[in-house]
Amino acid sequence: MSLRIVVCVKYVPDATGDRHFAEDLTTDRDAVDGLLSELDEYAVEQALQISEASDDAEITVVTVGPEEANKDGLRKALSMGADKGVHVVDDALHGSDVMGTSLVLAKAVEHVGYDLVVCGMASTDGTMGVLPALLAERLGVPQVTLLSEVAVADGQVTGRRDGDTATERLAASLPAVVSVTDQSGEARYPSFKGIMAAKKKPVEELQLSDLGIEADLVGLGGAWTAVDSADARPARTAGTIVKDEGEGGKQLAAFLAERKFI
Amino acid sequence: MSFTFDHVSLESEERRELRASVAALGRSFGRRYFTDCVREGRQTDELWHKAGALGFLGVNLPQEYGGGGAGLYELAVVLEELGATGCPLLLMVVSPAICGTVLARFGTEEQKQRWLPGLADGSARMAFGITEPDAGSNSHRITTTARRDGGDWLLSGRKVFISGVDIADATLIVGRTEDARTGKLKPCLFVVERGTPGFEFRQIAMDLSAPEKQFQVFLDDVRLPAGALVGDEDAGLLQLFAGLNPERVMTAAFSLGMGRYALEVAVEYARTRQVWREPIGAHQAIAHPLAKCRIELELAALMARKAAVLYDAGDDMGAGEAANMAKYAAAEAGAAAVDTAVHTLGGNGLTEEYGLASLLTASRVGRIAPVSREMILNFVSHHTLGLPKSY
Ligand SMILES: Cc1cc2nc3c(=O)[nH]c(=O)nc-3n(C[C@H](O)[C@H](O)[C@H](O)COP(=O)(O)OP(=O)(O)OC[C@H]3O[C@@H](n4cnc5c(N)ncnc54)[C@H](O)[C@@H]3O)c2cc1C
Repeated sequence: MSLRIVVCVKYVPDATGDRHFAEDLTTDRDAVDGLLSELDEYAVEQALQISEASDDAEITVVTVGPEEANKDGLRKALSMGADKGVHVVDDALHGSDVMGTSLVLAKAVEHVGYDLVVCGMASTDGTMGVLPALLAERLGVPQVTLLSEVAVADGQVTGRRDGDTATERLAASLPAVVSVTDQSGEARYPSFKGIMAAKKKPVEELQLSDLGIEADLVGLGGAWTAVDSADARPARTAGTIVKDEGEGGKQLAAFLAERKFI
Repeated sequence: MSFTFDHVSLESEERRELRASVAALGRSFGRRYFTDCVREGRQTDELWHKAGALGFLGVNLPQEYGGGGAGLYELAVVLEELGATGCPLLLMVVSPAICGTVLARFGTEEQKQRWLPGLADGSARMAFGITEPDAGSNSHRITTTARRDGGDWLLSGRKVFISGVDIADATLIVGRTEDARTGKLKPCLFVVERGTPGFEFRQIAMDLSAPEKQFQVFLDDVRLPAGALVGDEDAGLLQLFAGLNPERVMTAAFSLGMGRYALEVAVEYARTRQVWREPIGAHQAIAHPLAKCRIELELAALMARKAAVLYDAGDDMGAGEAANMAKYAAAEAGAAAVDTAVHTLGGNGLTEEYGLASLLTASRVGRIAPVSREMILNFVSHHTLGLPKSY
């Protein structure tokens, strides 16, 4: 039977843009162009490599997000080579926190059917990094997170996690959830053929009711946390430029010492 | 997401995605990679082959021969976007654009099978040789001649300024057939493989910093099999015209990419360099020339897209005027952008670190080749405006 891989990806505001909060303190998606979270490209890449190494695999990319998350997010993953997409889109999802998102993703992943779920290490907007763990918990399957290397063989997923003091080699039986880091290998660029093919790949659109989720469990209302206020970070002040006229090193050291860095 | 005129009227989603993917590839190499290659005397092979593997170099070539099945528009997108990251691939102008187009449209089945898959994935390259010592702007004066010898052809003549002969598997040589003694140009095109006896080339010392070099080519009774003649002996002129529009549009893309790259460096510098109280970009003497460059690049890009759209729609004649105008406008805009950028950076404009000074000569190429600015003005004078000819 074919290996069913599901990759969870997020549509986020471009991190290089000038990002703000909206009036209700949720992410302002209008001010900045959105795109597929860069960290999720690594997840797509690893899924593609696992699929290429297996005789028979199918990759579904799943996203929970606004209307544009399909064309500007899922499409990228499809043009990289994923086979089909699932887009959960519903007005009631606006303002969901990681608890709500993980609930919806779990239902969507179950709806698709899976042997392996691959996630990025975090999103570039929320940067919670706990979604893979929550998802595994909700699905009731093993989690192997923050891998810099991952492979599937004989009904098992194996991988390597590089910590500060040790490198762990981990394994779990399928079905399982994994997350991969930005050290797992450069994500491929969509080829011209991939770009042309992506448009014809099926994307299933689902609403909360299709997944049997009550609207009050998600969205701003269902969130476990509330944002009371948000202040923009003060503009960066001009830095000090140390001109090296023979005394550059000393000046630099003095600067650092004055601020107690050294 | 923004719905601008560009998005709705001109550029489909696929084209924008192609732009984004090519730009990401270009950025992963970056200007430093390109200038390192030049300094070390290497070709930009890693980038070339990666772009080839992603199907970018052959987007315009037919699918049945391994190409992307799209058009000149897409090919120009690839060159422009790579250029905008500081990594222009000059041979794209000749290999897939001129040679690939001519072979795809006029080549024999055998020639297509032999060359197109390689040109499409970048594993093969083909140079293009038309210019001769006495036939630059005036290509009617071409004297490279082919005569029949049994079933073979014997090709003799000299070519000059031919780009990339050393790294091309073959050169598409424009000659004329010997019986064409009417004085009228009756060109014919031959695929000459690099190792063919009698085909020799010598590098011309150019004051340009680019990985691709220019060559003098000597053809001395080069014996070619009948199958080296592209298509049909009488279709030479048509073949040549078929290659001209892609050449002009791609030259425009080359200039546009370079101009965009230079402008981006300059704008970033103007935003951050502080001499008095404000960054220099606040001074209109700095800001306005940069704004003007942006306007002119944008206008030239629009014309280049028009030419590509007309060409891809099969309107060779209509595309001709637009392609010439686009090449002219892009060359001027590109050269002006580099000039302005260098000046914006002050002394840093001439340092190696910022890599702009070497673009001063490179940006002039678009004004000279493949046809000079004056020849385009001549074309527009009598073709478009109906003014009498001066020569
Ligand atoms: C970097 C580079 C790469 C090149 N690569 C190739 C290549 O791959 N293949 C190839 O075949 N060629 C190539 N060329 C050659 C290029 O196409 C020619 O240089 C170009 O066509 C001009 O010809 P020319 O140099 O003989 O100039 P000329 O024809 O001698 O012209 C000299 C000057 O006189 C002007 N002039 C000429 N006639 C007129 C007129 N009637 N009215 C007004 N002004 C006129 C021209 O505009 C020009 O300014 C390359 C050139 C360069 C610089």
